[in-house]
Amino acid sequence: MSAGLSGLRAWLAQRLSAVYLGLYFIFAVLAIAVHPHLSYEEWRSWLANPWVLLATGIFMVALLMHAWIGVRDILLDYVHPLWLRVSAYGLVVMFLLACGLWAAKILLQASGL
Amino acid sequence: MRFSIYRYASESDGKPGMQDFDLSDEDIEPGMMLLGALLKLKEQDPTLSFRRSCQEGVCGSDAMNINGRNGLACITPLKSLKEPVELRPLPGMPVIRDLVVDMENFYRQYRAAEPWLQLDEPEPEVEIKQSPQQRAQLDGLYECILCGCCSAACPSYWWNPERFLGPAALLQSARFVLDSRDQATEKRLGQLDDAYKLFRCHSIMNCVQVCPKGLNPTRAIAKIKHAMLKKDF
Repeated sequence: MSAGLSGLRAWLAQRLSAVYLGLYFIFAVLAIAVHPHLSYEEWRSWLANPWVLLATGIFMVALLMHAWIGVRDILLDYVHPLWLRVSAYGLVVMFLLACGLWAAKILLQASGL
Repeated sequence: MRFSIYRYASESDGKPGMQDFDLSDEDIEPGMMLLGALLKLKEQDPTLSFRRSCQEGVCGSDAMNINGRNGLACITPLKSLKEPVELRPLPGMPVIRDLVVDMENFYRQYRAAEPWLQLDEPEPEVEIKQSPQQRAQLDGLYECILCGCCSAACPSYWWNPERFLGPAALLQSARFVLDSRDQATEKRLGQLDDAYKLFRCHSIMNCVQVCPKGLNPTRAIAKIKHAMLKKDF
């Protein structure tokens, strides 16, 4: 998520994060499928598992990076006035950062720290 | 046969618009191509303007938008076209007159691809040899006639024509990146590695759909990315 993330590196990051998001999605669906009547306590203990926490943390980072590269690509394509594009970048970064902090808070709470 | 053709001249103050033309059945010969019909229509109205030269799909002059799809008039059979045949200039390029567009930016992007062999070492006395396998790498790349159908069909090129090279120029980039005799591969790949020149391509594949020579610029672009990956990792 820096100025260095452009060209081939951004393209590669987009694809690698997509692979991880796909795998996590399958994992999450399977995890819910084996617990059809998930209670809140079960849900919390599941999420407190360090491996699940780690996988979910990586998932959040991959999701935010994937979203940032994708939205930035759309803005690069269509929004040409520089001031407008930079403002749009700002809004997107703030939104993604807020989502990231929120997710981090949830994961920290789940880990019991 | 009915035609509806875009008429506009940039130096006139008139508005662009479609004009209907009729070609009588006795003027239509069996196996006639669209360019033949256009030449007949030009006899009716000598001010109707379009580019053409070889009339056999080699020079790439008569690229235009035919019933919504870019193609070469000289190799498009009249029989294959739905009436009225709607002819427009290549989309996304400034119109000079009627079906004639300004291709300066297209050629500028072609030049930016540096489409010539580059050597670090002094030129050898004899030709540089290639194995049949190395030569085969260039198949599907060297055949491009630069008609502009692909780039004019590419939404990424419509939005960023000054900074995105476009499918035609990128096909040429691939042609020289993959050439075993070229010694500027690293430089070429480095130049393309920014947000715009190559990576505005989103594999929309309009270029593949319209190429009158049946080439595949999307695959050529993928080969450039593959070469970049091999270089960096």
